[in-house]
Amino acid sequence: MTDGEAVTDPTETRGSTIGSLPGRRRLVVVAVGSVFWTWLLARWAYHNTVLDWVATAFGTPDLVRAEQGVRGREGWIPAAPFEGAAEAVDGVAATLGPASALVDWLVWLFDLAAFATTTAPALAAGAFVTVYLTVVSMLLGLVIAVPLAVARIYGGRGLRSIALAYTELIRGTPLLAQLFFLYFGLPLAQIAESVGFTGQGPVPRAAAAVAVVGFTINSSAYQSEYIRSALQSVDPGQLTAARAVGLSELGGIRHVVLPQGLRFAIPGWTNEFVYLIKYSSLAAFITVPDLFRRARTIGSETFQFTDIYVIVGLFYLALVLTTALAMGRLERWVAIPGLGSASDRG
Amino acid sequence: MSLLEIEDVDKSYGDEEVLHDVSLAMDQRDVDVIVGPSGSGKSTLLRCVNRLTEVDDGAIYLDGEEIHGMDENDLRRRVGMVFQDFNLFAHRSALGNVTLGLTEVLELSETEAKSRAEEFLGRVGLADQADSYPSQLSGGQKQRVGIARALAMDPDLLLFDEPTSALDPELIGEVLAVMEDLAEGGMTMLCVTHEMGFARSAASTITFLDGGRIVERGPPEQLFETPEKERTRTFLGQLTDLNR
Repeated sequence: MTDGEAVTDPTETRGSTIGSLPGRRRLVVVAVGSVFWTWLLARWAYHNTVLDWVATAFGTPDLVRAEQGVRGREGWIPAAPFEGAAEAVDGVAATLGPASALVDWLVWLFDLAAFATTTAPALAAGAFVTVYLTVVSMLLGLVIAVPLAVARIYGGRGLRSIALAYTELIRGTPLLAQLFFLYFGLPLAQIAESVGFTGQGPVPRAAAAVAVVGFTINSSAYQSEYIRSALQSVDPGQLTAARAVGLSELGGIRHVVLPQGLRFAIPGWTNEFVYLIKYSSLAAFITVPDLFRRARTIGSETFQFTDIYVIVGLFYLALVLTTALAMGRLERWVAIPGLGSASDRG
Repeated sequence: MSLLEIEDVDKSYGDEEVLHDVSLAMDQRDVDVIVGPSGSGKSTLLRCVNRLTEVDDGAIYLDGEEIHGMDENDLRRRVGMVFQDFNLFAHRSALGNVTLGLTEVLELSETEAKSRAEEFLGRVGLADQADSYPSQLSGGQKQRVGIARALAMDPDLLLFDEPTSALDPELIGEVLAVMEDLAEGGMTMLCVTHEMGFARSAASTITFLDGGRIVERGPPEQLFETPEKERTRTFLGQLTDLNR
């Protein structure tokens, strides 16, 4: 910490560490992030089926190319300059003799950059699948998690036991086992296909639908635990006051406990979101062409496993950092003076 | 007919008997002050009246109707409560604290609720703090919002559970002033408080509760000047000294 500005309000650092970076470094992060996301969104748009229909309808069928297979896609950034740079540095290294180790890493870096430009289009397609798997599962999971958490705290004995059993069963078994059970053990994929998840146009493939079901169930259990502990940190006097005004217990939970508790839950919920981005890579094992599966395929075709996993690691890192940043924003956006701030709860 | 009638109420928590054969009756416009040492069952008695706690034995009648048979949400709409530690809804502004019951329980429209809430915040002198959140208000202001919240529901009876004991001394006056105003305006109030000044000036009856039993009950001048029991004299004497 060299800059005085780096010392900020402790509440500021909870959502995201990027938000509290001093000016110049923050600018770099924002710049890199904008370039990455502009490129990624453009890539998604360029191969988007719906946009393709729209473009064709407006008489510009070449603007969007949804029909193009993922493997046939070409990068927008040429690989040649990086390859050239790698070769040049390699030439320099040859003249250095035993000291060549000092610049060898530069050669590797340029080679990696060249490799990244050629593999990026496929990874962008994979990233789209990863993002929608994660976002859809998190949101659907939330819809299950909130009643689950409420049942755990306020439910009668029966409801509490059911909620507890569900949570412990899901949290106590490996996610991969759950996915295999859903995909191979149950005829869920066929059912998904029969209701129209055929992988045509904008509709995801059956395997992706199964993955969403699996991740939704899994994340709902974890989310409910985060939400439960957040709800329990709401002062019980709040619900008493709601009841004293004449609200029913459910009314009090809905209008008083949840609005406060869900705000407290955001940091924990962000944690689960970030986990799921990475855990969603397990979808690759039930044939979903997500980020990880694209990387694995490229690896087995090129045998450059180390390189592709470094590159795909950077993709995941970018997604995770973006999420942390966005959730920090959300937390500040919904903040209420005096509610859940460090001074009030500590 | 009395507005509130408490008849032989018993209440225990486990083996501990908190209320024993407590009976009292209040008419409309009465202001009853309950005093007693801590643990004497004062708060429990209040909570029995709006059924935040259920009695073990005995009966409580509101306007002649046994409250056990009433819908509890309906009962609580008719019996407002003001808490010792305010319990303002922390995520809602002062105005939002008052409107919640209006929209959700009385089912007023947003606009109706808002104008009514503004009116009641005005009555407790907080018209200018409508948009402040609880954390931005002083203790005295919070408690006045708490009173406005209960009052806006147009209750038949208001319960006060030690409304000033969590306040700094200099903030007690503003809350008592509001309570005195209400008493003058004819509000029926059942107050647990140790503010003897308020008891003297506003109470129609004082009830001295000790160990879950009513020791003595009567008009303020009787309990202050000529109490029947020595215990009453000692306790009220201590409180009066304390308030000085």
